[in-house]
Amino acid sequence: MAEIMMEIRGLTKRYGDHTVLENIDLDVKKGEVIAIIGPSGCGKSTFIRTLDLLEKPTAGHIMIDGEDLNDPKTNVDEILPRIGMVFQQFNLFSNMTIKRNITFAPVHHKLMNQQQADEKAMELLERIGLADKADAYPSQLSGGQKQRVAIARSLAMNPEIILFDEPTSALDPEMVGEVLNIMRELAEEGMTMIVVTHEMGFAREVANRVLFIDEKVIKEDGTPEEVFHHPKNERLKEFLSSVLH
Amino acid sequence: MKKKKLYLPVLLAVFMLVTALTGCGGSDSHKVTKAKDLPGARIGVQVGTTGDSFVTENYEKKKGTDIQRYDKGADAVQALKQGKIDTVVIDDQVAKAFAEKNPDIKILDEDLVVEQYATVFAKGNDELREKFNKGLAAIKADGTLDKITDTWINKKGKYHYKKKVKNGPKLVIASSIDFPPYESFDGKGDIVGFDVEMLYAVTDHMGVSVEIQNIQFDSIIAAVDAGKADIGVSGFTITEDRKKSIDFSDSYIDTAQVMLVKGSGSDGAASFAEKIHNNFVKDGRWHYLLRGLGITLLITFFAVILGILFGFLLAVIRVAYDKNGSLRFLNYLAKLYLTIVRGTPVMVQLLIIYYVVFASVNINKVFVAVVAFGLNSAAYVAEIIRSGIMSIDDGQFEAGKSLGLKFHTVMIYVILPQAFKNVLPALANEFISLLKETSISGYIGLSDLTRGGQTIQSLTYDALLPLGAVAIVYLVLVVGLSTLVGKLEKNLKKNER
Repeated sequence: MAEIMMEIRGLTKRYGDHTVLENIDLDVKKGEVIAIIGPSGCGKSTFIRTLDLLEKPTAGHIMIDGEDLNDPKTNVDEILPRIGMVFQQFNLFSNMTIKRNITFAPVHHKLMNQQQADEKAMELLERIGLADKADAYPSQLSGGQKQRVAIARSLAMNPEIILFDEPTSALDPEMVGEVLNIMRELAEEGMTMIVVTHEMGFAREVANRVLFIDEKVIKEDGTPEEVFHHPKNERLKEFLSSVLH
Repeated sequence: MKKKKLYLPVLLAVFMLVTALTGCGGSDSHKVTKAKDLPGARIGVQVGTTGDSFVTENYEKKKGTDIQRYDKGADAVQALKQGKIDTVVIDDQVAKAFAEKNPDIKILDEDLVVEQYATVFAKGNDELREKFNKGLAAIKADGTLDKITDTWINKKGKYHYKKKVKNGPKLVIASSIDFPPYESFDGKGDIVGFDVEMLYAVTDHMGVSVEIQNIQFDSIIAAVDAGKADIGVSGFTITEDRKKSIDFSDSYIDTAQVMLVKGSGSDGAASFAEKIHNNFVKDGRWHYLLRGLGITLLITFFAVILGILFGFLLAVIRVAYDKNGSLRFLNYLAKLYLTIVRGTPVMVQLLIIYYVVFASVNINKVFVAVVAFGLNSAAYVAEIIRSGIMSIDDGQFEAGKSLGLKFHTVMIYVILPQAFKNVLPALANEFISLLKETSISGYIGLSDLTRGGQTIQSLTYDALLPLGAVAIVYLVLVVGLSTLVGKLEKNLKKNER
């Protein structure tokens, strides 16, 4: 069995009296592609955002290499750059060119010098088919192009895991494919990924593990085959029948 | 379209000036021919003068009496000519000077109260006061003072005392240069008058040089008390009230308060061309406006820079707290600062900074004005920049955080460049208002554009032309800057998606 790279124990998130996530445990193995599905408002986005500390967990542990992200004594500045994040709304830096969006963080963290970063950026842009947009600004790109750049931006940091928060939800239907294709390639290369998604096709074909989150907890956890073809949980069955007509 | 926009405000401004200056008031006039007529009359005085306290003491409580207090004697005379008041109570020699230049006003042949003039010193500054008194005694003894009196007061003889000691130890003199024949500007911008020559003669005896600062009359005692000036020389009457806050020298001249009223003589209706010549060309008077404009622009420019730097700092403190909950104490201070600065008039702030904060240091007044207007502007700039930062999508912060970038890194490289672009037009408008606000700099004795116009007014007794010219210069600057800002805004919009 592959080594465990992220160990989540007792993860709980509350906003005041309102509990969104209750006591979640999860082991993420290296190279795993985990799709998280569930009805809207079930907390799946909150879950993935706590893993990058965009939401501060109320309780619990997020262990990476034996260090707990939710421990105030941990130097999270060392760990966060190793976790990539791709947002629903892309969140490219509007005031920077595409190339600078990609090179800014690695150069700032001194992972590479500007020249190396530029080369790496061009390599990534070639790969996602946007080399000609290197000097364009985000506002000049389509949604699908922006999301491909956002993926390239997180790849430039050489992350150990990439979190995707509904990466195709804000896209026009004809652009969904180009983004999913890149994610598929990443999965094939062995990148560890956690993807919150509404794309059941993607979850079924690309993910090797599917989580169904509902009512603050993980209700079902299994292979795509198990989750989609032999669902055990009643809520999951209802959910699947509503999304898969 | 553009041109029309420009004409409209100009027309409006001229219209407002004309209505204001031709005086649409003066309904219940009350003829004053002797002191007994004063109760119930509309009486004009210069604020803080003996005339003011005499009239206030004796007539304020009388039914129907309306005392109008003006910053300058010339303003009171102007109001008298326009029929806004019935009489002006003022020092006799000053009244004579006004009556000479204005054939349509005359002096009533009745002295209200006889009094003595002296110079003022900070309480306890006895060493300087005694030296001054010695010098004064000397020029009384050798006849110099009599000769000066003949020239300026009795109008006979051409004797003028020239200052001899121009270097070495220097005394700062506070004087309100709008009180002829005691102190006024001559055509060339030099300060002349009876007080001035008396001062020169006495200080020559003391062996010191002088620097005369033009300060509003009612602020001179405060300036001397605060150590901003060593001596106040401005036709001060010795009164018991004043003795409580300052010390007087020996008296150097006797004088009386008299009543000025509108006479039958005509204004001698000068043609428009003559008025233009008199107000701007004669003796190079336009220099007052040009030099004033220079000071106005200088103050505005550096106040803008100070406003941006300090305002920016305040904005960052406020945002760090709003977004992260950090810097709680600094945020509290910043909020307090914003509340105080935005909740009080800039004029009061200027006076406090000059008379309280910088009370004990003799400091360049332009610097004081830059500090006052800069600190004031900073409060408004801070809120503009803060709203700019808060308008940037949270996603930009989150993207930065997910790349492991620190808050301040995201702020400097991602958020601020975008925020600045968004708020540039609002910032530019703030600086346009700042330009107009500097027009109160005259209150701490700076000769800015507005004060330049007032100086011409005090020389020519004409309000419309100098003030109108000042208004037009401001208007041209503001409309010009606004047009630039509009263009900038359009360009910025073009660069967006």
